[in-house]
Amino acid sequence: MNWQPELDELRTREELARRMGGPEKVARQHAGGRLTVRERIGRLLDPDSFHELGLIAGRAEYDDNGQLRDLTPSNSVFGRGRIDGRTVVVVADDFTVRGGSADATIKEKVLMAEQMANQFHLPIVRVIEGSGGGGSVKTIETRGRANLPGGVGGTIAYHFTTANLGVVPVVGLGLGSVAGLGAARLAASHYSVMTKSSAMFVAGPPVVARLGQSLGKQELGGWQIQTRSGAVDHATDTEEEAFAAARRFLSYLPNSVHELPPVTEATDDPARRDEMLMHVIPRDRRKVYKVRPIVESVVDRGSFFEMGSQFGRSIVTGLARLEGRPVAVMASDPYHYGGAWTADACAKIVRFVDLAETFHLPVVYLMDCPGFLIGLEAEKAATIRLGVRAMTAINQTSVPWCTIIMRNSFGVAGAAHQPAGRLSLRYAWLSAYWGSLPLEGGIEAAYRAEIDAAPDPAAKLREIEDRLNKLRSPFRTAETFWVEEIIDPRQTRPLLCDFARLAAPLLKPGLSSFAMRP
Amino acid sequence: MTETAIPSELNGTVWKIEVAVGDRVAAGDTLILLESMKMEIPVDAPCDGVVAAILVKEEQAVEEGDTLAVIAQK
Repeated sequence: MNWQPELDELRTREELARRMGGPEKVARQHAGGRLTVRERIGRLLDPDSFHELGLIAGRAEYDDNGQLRDLTPSNSVFGRGRIDGRTVVVVADDFTVRGGSADATIKEKVLMAEQMANQFHLPIVRVIEGSGGGGSVKTIETRGRANLPGGVGGTIAYHFTTANLGVVPVVGLGLGSVAGLGAARLAASHYSVMTKSSAMFVAGPPVVARLGQSLGKQELGGWQIQTRSGAVDHATDTEEEAFAAARRFLSYLPNSVHELPPVTEATDDPARRDEMLMHVIPRDRRKVYKVRPIVESVVDRGSFFEMGSQFGRSIVTGLARLEGRPVAVMASDPYHYGGAWTADACAKIVRFVDLAETFHLPVVYLMDCPGFLIGLEAEKAATIRLGVRAMTAINQTSVPWCTIIMRNSFGVAGAAHQPAGRLSLRYAWLSAYWGSLPLEGGIEAAYRAEIDAAPDPAAKLREIEDRLNKLRSPFRTAETFWVEEIIDPRQTRPLLCDFARLAAPLLKPGLSSFAMRP
Repeated sequence: MTETAIPSELNGTVWKIEVAVGDRVAAGDTLILLESMKMEIPVDAPCDGVVAAILVKEEQAVEEGDTLAVIAQK
């Protein structure tokens, strides 16, 4: 007699669990244009690489003889699998079982997934659909008590949800309606993606309706709201594209802070010089230019992966490679407030620079910053405090840093173009232009008496402006060694590749001096 | 016929209006120049079409999200 009957029962239970919420609920999921949890995991991971844990955990029904009649699985599915050959943890909500609600989750599964990522040093992908958290208000009746969020023994999952940001790459995918703790787990990530048909909110339309706001899901928390607000980094048309974005993001990062970012084979000539860089910056300083083609021109061809394009848009942020070495790239976008640092842009910089520091990515900053955004709205948004917060984040980095001053560098935001107090590499383009504050307005402030006393104040103003402009050449700054090098802009890629080579031996794996916050 | 509203992407002032109602425009054509941080920020047509409305005047202050113009597409 062997253990065949038990094996048969195990297989039966596994089969029941794989049915998820049953054919009807699965059909409804598909009819909504959404994949099931098992299809999602299958398409996110390398083929047949998923090793599931806790598959048969759920709620069983037995007949009078104690024989298993049915099994409804937990609506949280997790395990490990591979992405491009590297092992990751995936934890995914099953919306076909009680709408993904925490009522049916078995929250220890989610906890174990986070713990596994943390303690086995594996990236984690959270595939989120539903609410999670304390469950619906029905649980007040089923448990006979109201839920104290974070009550006795209930904080450990929150611990890993946030602490993992300092240890392993965390990706959140919002696929469907995401609310409450689900929204929190999506936002508490290094990189979050939602599909354009999804919605994410703290509380959904029925709850918000009680405040008198009658809004549909999309109006309340659609991708246009959430990517613009910076709560979610990216939106895709399809779930496949969301999986591809997650895979691509992870390809630049180490499995954990205890390793260095993965270097790939160099595929692009490090000596490549792009003629376009000689004329891309308009001579007229009132004119703007598109910065993304510049970024794409100086990094390895096809390697730029932008993150958070709809938020804090005066700064473009993303990951890229230089001769195969991953780097974090920030670039000013003059189309948005001339590249000035807005409060939003500062918040974006803090999170991005922290990501670079956490995962040992050298930073490249292609700079054209006329300063902080000015004016009443900027003051009301506490731009200066967010600004010095961004500066502090930059100053707290220890990863190597290289700044290219493409055009403007003005004021305190201008000063934050490299970490203070240590040596970084810096090159100024021929188009570089800098100052404590702009001449426009700056002259009126500094030469008020002289201008007022002149018979023709306007002419006097022009005369002073002309006088000062003659002294503004970046060569005069270099002459006094206030900037160390002015370069032919076509030399930018060779110099950045050189920077990445110099940076490589300086990168040290390990925990950062702080654990980053979302 | 669909109409596409062109919103301002930032707070600023209308510097120049480069098109008139009835003009045929192609995707990428500059419709309006805004001024912000003393820079001229072009607002480009996101699609081909005909300018159906211009809802702002030169020197007018605009806020992020304000509709500047409308393009009608066949």
